Amino acid sequence: MRIEMKNIRKSFGSNDVIKDVSFSVEGGEICALLGENGAGKSTLMNILGGVYQTDAGSILVNGQQVDFEKPSDSMEAGIAFIHQELNLINDLPIYENMFLGREIKTKRGSLDLKQMYQQTADMFERMNIDLDPGKMVRDLDASYKQIVEICRAMMTNASIIIMDEPTTSLTDSEIVRVFNMMETMKEHNVGIIFISHKLKEVLQICNKYLVLRDGNLVAEGNVSDVTTKDLASYMVGYDVRTESLRREKNMEEEDKEEVLRVEGLTDKHHFRDISFSVKAGEIVGVTGLLGDGRSELFQAIFGADPFSSGKIYLNGKEVNIGSTYQAIKEGIAYLPRNRKENGILKDMNIFENASIVTWPMFSKRGVINTAKHKQKFKEHRGTLRLKMGELTDSITSLSGGNQQKVVLSKWLAANPRLLILDNPTQGVDVGAKEDIYDIIIKLAEENIAIVVLSSEAHEIIRVCDRALVMYHGVIQGEVRDDRMNEQEIMRLATGGDFGLERREHQYET
Amino acid sequence: MKPELENNTTDPVKTKKTFIEWFSYKWSNDPLFSILIALIIMVILQTLTLGFDYDSVGEWFGAWMNNWINILRNNAGIGIIALGMTLVIMTGGIDLAVGSTLVITGAFTMYLLDTGSGGILAAVGVTGVPAIILTVILVMAFGYLLGSLIGVTVTKGKVPPFIATLGAMMIFRSVTQHFAQGYNTTVPMEFLQISSLKIGNLMIMPIIYWAIIAVILYYVSKRTTFGRQIIAVGSNERAAKLSGVNVNKVKLRVYALMGLLVSIAAIIQVSRIGSMDFSNAGRGMEMDAIAAAVVGGTNMLGGRGYILGTVYGMLIIAVMNNLLNLFGVPPFLRDAFKGVIVIVAVLLQRKEKSA
Repeated sequence: MRIEMKNIRKSFGSNDVIKDVSFSVEGGEICALLGENGAGKSTLMNILGGVYQTDAGSILVNGQQVDFEKPSDSMEAGIAFIHQELNLINDLPIYENMFLGREIKTKRGSLDLKQMYQQTADMFERMNIDLDPGKMVRDLDASYKQIVEICRAMMTNASIIIMDEPTTSLTDSEIVRVFNMMETMKEHNVGIIFISHKLKEVLQICNKYLVLRDGNLVAEGNVSDVTTKDLASYMVGYDVRTESLRREKNMEEEDKEEVLRVEGLTDKHHFRDISFSVKAGEIVGVTGLLGDGRSELFQAIFGADPFSSGKIYLNGKEVNIGSTYQAIKEGIAYLPRNRKENGILKDMNIFENASIVTWPMFSKRGVINTAKHKQKFKEHRGTLRLKMGELTDSITSLSGGNQQKVVLSKWLAANPRLLILDNPTQGVDVGAKEDIYDIIIKLAEENIAIVVLSSEAHEIIRVCDRALVMYHGVIQGEVRDDRMNEQEIMRLATGGDFGLERREHQYET
Repeated sequence: MKPELENNTTDPVKTKKTFIEWFSYKWSNDPLFSILIALIIMVILQTLTLGFDYDSVGEWFGAWMNNWINILRNNAGIGIIALGMTLVIMTGGIDLAVGSTLVITGAFTMYLLDTGSGGILAAVGVTGVPAIILTVILVMAFGYLLGSLIGVTVTKGKVPPFIATLGAMMIFRSVTQHFAQGYNTTVPMEFLQISSLKIGNLMIMPIIYWAIIAVILYYVSKRTTFGRQIIAVGSNERAAKLSGVNVNKVKLRVYALMGLLVSIAAIIQVSRIGSMDFSNAGRGMEMDAIAAAVVGGTNMLGGRGYILGTVYGMLIIAVMNNLLNLFGVPPFLRDAFKGVIVIVAVLLQRKEKSA
């Protein structure tokens, strides 16, 4: 199957989101669709998926002009759109999820579970997936959920599948699993449009690429002809820095005072016997694969969740943090992962999202001092290079990168001594990523102790002075200087040498 | 993907525009605007029904005012409760126990005040004005305590608010009915002044209480840490917690405040009528309060709600009841109209959200 989009245009009000874009995708191809947030990727794909109608231009399926008025038209034509937020029901088993909305029924009208189970099992076998169709979706990790969703699309005989940032919330080993699945689909002559911010992945898995910038198609071609650097510069329109940002080791390590020390921290499920320390002005990375417990560890240090034993010292004094509010009073800030679930309050405007942390601090007898908040926000707005409309606009009117900057600004207002950033660049475009790195380094220069949690090793290498690598709830090792490279980090994150073999084994399956 | 708003240079607020432009902008951007329009239409209808006559404006105005004072006074208690309900719903919770809290605090008021043999304060020798002041304080404290109990069940006990307050609803009323069986009290005349004291020659004390509480809560919800944290908790509990909001404390205080407001409503009701029917008073009140909040634009899922909207909502329902009365609609049919209003209000609001 071949789909073609010709001279597509789309505008919302006076805002031209897509300006004359043409491209085509065939079965058996994996085509990367790249662009910063707001470049028009989602709009373009929503037109292809029948969510929006194009203002001008046409869509051709196998040379025949088609008219997609609603998502089901597009689906009938064999195009499946897998959104970032998966459409699976956690409380149903896989095989029932596979047939949501088009259940197989027996003659008497009840669900034919056996048949549904069998067809799912057949599909998994065809796709080389080792998964029990009877498992509850709740018990699957993120990559298998992704796979189930892909299989569901395959079952509806989709021949072109659009995947919107499928790897954002996956760890490296899970990504491998999804990529294997994509390779299998390619063999089955399915075409894939792969939306991603991760350029390395694009080089690894795709054959073609399209780059959108401000609604224009600025580059397209074969992936074998380009480097990540090329792609990144197409996306932002200028050369991006790719060298390490790690600062010259100019700090006298003995001189700096210790801000955070943790001794033997243990909780029942997620981490055990964790000890480390962070000094003022230092950027410490913490990385690992899914299930390493790093988020849970730092949420416990931040007082959001309890831990069972161990001690936390701040500036040499033992503290007993029972709540997030107390943690903030002690000078700890925590930028959470998964911005949508943990970071932003969608019912509140930009200004409120940027000031929530400091409401109790800048208030008199419970009445919030709005003027002081406005002044603080103005100070940070410049540093953060925040692109926004009015203070009272909804937070959801901003792009992902700018939302993250707003979340960051609420913590800057609180003047923390220790700043914990959990996946700070998740779902953030290249330009905003660089801004966030700049801010992290600037804050460290202001003598704030910084911890960066990230599942992306190159990000850790880029900004951190040293890194702790976690594996199943323990610190497997610490890397710094020359030893801080992707291979060493991966070796530790997979549990040492044994783990490395296991990872390779996973790649084969 | 949403169109980016930054490039949008035509800000409708700042440019001069025609009435129609202003109206359509307000209609789709100000969530309270359509509610206010609905209220105004109903008031116009009601005014026409009262027989507006240009020649005898003075006489007409007197009747109109009287009618309004009646409407407002009759709805002051439930109006106050609806305000608290709005805050509870804004946190993502609900309080079904308000009607039962009303009777239990009402019964407590009467036991405290009774000048006969059963009176608690009279038994310890406190009478007259001190007894009344003490009663008001104790009843409000009692309401606050009952609300806190619900709050603790919801926060520490992690019982869903629907269940916790459903339980409390049954417990409070049943306990009251059992202990106050056949209880006949005489409430001192001075106590009745709380509601029936005349300003000029208007009996508007309950309306004044309602207005004061609405103003305070409006300010609290807009400008204080507590008020904003209520919205934060209802909008995204985890994000609020990770921003240093003490989620449990906010919820506890909201339920406690609800209890306090109900006890004020109970004082108003007892002081208006001089007694309370423990098996029927407050029945269905929780639904009326929820209806007022919903008509006023409160989102049942939490995170969005307006004190002013709830006042409008309450007035819309009250004016409608008044209209049905004037039109002579049979009593059993009146709830049907209320139901229609609630559903239409939500339908109207959904239009804005998708716009």
